[in-house]
Amino acid sequence: MSVPAIDIQSIAKRYEGHVAVRDLTLRVPRGVVYGLLGPNGAGKTTTIRMLLNIIAPDSGSILLGGVPNTAPGVLDRVGYLPEERGLYKKMQVRRMLHFLAELKGLTRREASLRIDEWLDRLELRTAEKDWGNAKIDELSRGMQQKVQFIGTLLHDPDLVILDEPFSGLDPINAQGLKDTVVELRRRGKTVLFSTHMMDNAERMCDSVCIVARGEKVLDGPVAEARAEHGGSHVALGLTGASTPAIDAVLADRSLVSRLDDSSRFFEIELTPGADAQLLLRRLIEAGAGIERFERVQPSLHQIFLQRVGATGVEPGMSGHG
Amino acid sequence: MGKMVAVIKREYLERVRSKWFVFATVFGPVMMAVLTVLPAYMASSTRPSSELSNIVILDASGAGLGARIAQQLGKDGGAPRVRTITPSEIASAESLATREVIARDVEGYLVVDALTQSGERARYSGRNASTIPDTDRLQEATRTAVLGMRFEAAGLDAAKVQSLSTMRLKLDTERLTEQGRGSSGKGNIVLAYIVALLLYMSIVLYGQSILMGVIEEKTQRVAEVVVASIPSDKLLAGKVLGVGAVGLTQQVVWVASGILLLANQQTIMQALGLPAVAVQMPQVSVLTGAAFFAYFILGFIFFTSLFAAAGSMVSSTQDAQQVATPLTFLIIPSILLLTPVLLQPNGVMARVVTLVPFTSPILMPVRMSITAVPWWEVAASIAILIATCLGAIWLAARIYRVGVLMYGKKPSLREVSRWIRLAR
Repeated sequence: MSVPAIDIQSIAKRYEGHVAVRDLTLRVPRGVVYGLLGPNGAGKTTTIRMLLNIIAPDSGSILLGGVPNTAPGVLDRVGYLPEERGLYKKMQVRRMLHFLAELKGLTRREASLRIDEWLDRLELRTAEKDWGNAKIDELSRGMQQKVQFIGTLLHDPDLVILDEPFSGLDPINAQGLKDTVVELRRRGKTVLFSTHMMDNAERMCDSVCIVARGEKVLDGPVAEARAEHGGSHVALGLTGASTPAIDAVLADRSLVSRLDDSSRFFEIELTPGADAQLLLRRLIEAGAGIERFERVQPSLHQIFLQRVGATGVEPGMSGHG
Repeated sequence: MGKMVAVIKREYLERVRSKWFVFATVFGPVMMAVLTVLPAYMASSTRPSSELSNIVILDASGAGLGARIAQQLGKDGGAPRVRTITPSEIASAESLATREVIARDVEGYLVVDALTQSGERARYSGRNASTIPDTDRLQEATRTAVLGMRFEAAGLDAAKVQSLSTMRLKLDTERLTEQGRGSSGKGNIVLAYIVALLLYMSIVLYGQSILMGVIEEKTQRVAEVVVASIPSDKLLAGKVLGVGAVGLTQQVVWVASGILLLANQQTIMQALGLPAVAVQMPQVSVLTGAAFFAYFILGFIFFTSLFAAAGSMVSSTQDAQQVATPLTFLIIPSILLLTPVLLQPNGVMARVVTLVPFTSPILMPVRMSITAVPWWEVAASIAILIATCLGAIWLAARIYRVGVLMYGKKPSLREVSRWIRLAR
């Protein structure tokens, strides 16, 4: 196995009053899209900040591409999009990007070329208007997000770390972000992003790590995780709304051990040993109009709920998780 | 190092490009010019006002002192009225005069009595009682009148004594130290004031500027992007140096235009039709100049790094003033102690405050410009300042490192001390 992009060995970070991260070990291979999943307050942002040497772990070690992340120049190969995004509002877009590029060790000339390329690509420079010469606070929110994104990728990093990248994005920009992540992966880059939105993670990630209360709950390739937890899950789709009779069937603990109810769509975890055919028959007897009845692997969301449970979110914790 | 240069460059260019900087840099010399020309203009256009001819003299001396004063005052205008009264009538005469002042019939009234005659005091009440040229003139006239009476009593010719004792003697001063002859000591007092003022202004202005810059970085959430690329102590150093370079640029412009103004003062005054004021150019040796420069840089670094640390502790501009105030208290003593140091530049206090790191950056250059400070005192003061500077940077970097990522309420002193202990 080649040197992993990220190799975290049992790091921990304590703050007065609580433990943000407790003994976390994590290995992210090169060239994958990796999801760091967990509820708010699970320790995702703290982990990412330690990865970027913004804060130092109390114990443990972090290697990026086999080199300690405290070594000079290592972080120049990393692109970072923090959860709280921000740019100098009074600065010109181009000057801001030049500044970020220089912080990553890019030469002026190199930076100029790439900035123009990116401005063109994200349509911030068109025939009518060159937003590169505008001040940041003259830009719309969407455009500011784009500039921030350029800043993250300008130096063509090998490792891209995105903290909650989808928060605050409109659907168009969110799609753009997904496309970019796919594109990065195709070019052999490693992408690590944190999110508490399982749907996005499920669709985009090769591997995931679920953390809760500062600890790793599960990690590995998404397919493996699902296969491991799969086999006894059923996806059920109804033609109409549920009725009391149907609810009664679904509430039968001898058949259904866990249920994710979305009114017309249900994700069902069968009780071990229960027969799916029996469940189907009972549902039809109860008068259910069935649109879909399928043995499935569980979604990450299901796995997450199963492993972390409702107690995954500790009260009074938020923000800098 | 390259990254720190990026920070220095950004801090410098963004500030120098701002309208505020351009305005202040240009406005400074303009103000200097105005301050040089204005006093001369005022002096040439304002004489003791004619209002002195419209006062009432209440003469209770019983010796005609009032008339003599009126005569003195009348020399360059109309003579004021004199009311001769007895000492017991003073109260009623005063209340009448008071009514006249309120009714604007007269400008004010002067009370002279036996005490005046014995050379102790006279009293004046009036609308122009705080006009310095008027009161000076009044006092002078009264003095002359009393003197005249005394001369006559001694059998001397008052006019003759007057003309004999009138002279305009000017004391030309020259500074003489073991380093040789310098120019006038007065030029150097002016220099001392200017140096103190410039240092004080730039430390306060740019201290605030870096404070706001750090808070802006936090509120606009740029800090995290930046510290992911550059260690926070380097970021802090870059900011302090960048802002320092801005301050230095401004000082160079100000000092250069000041020197130009002084050098061409005669020409400018002539062009404006004003009498030139004899200002001697202060002379500064290369070593003293170098020391000034060192104090500027060190004082600047010392205070701005503390301001930056203070800025990192809070997350809103509203809280900024609160954390800046204690720092301002560290600077203000320099200004309060300025005059005492100027009066006794080699006194114990002057020697102590030029060693203390909070006050030495401003007061040592002041002291050096009016007296010859032993070299070892300068060396000791600079050494102490460098040591304190390093301490301040170390402290500031630790506070900054933690503070710059903290949002929310202002931390308590206890929390800040924990940041300092735990930061790494």
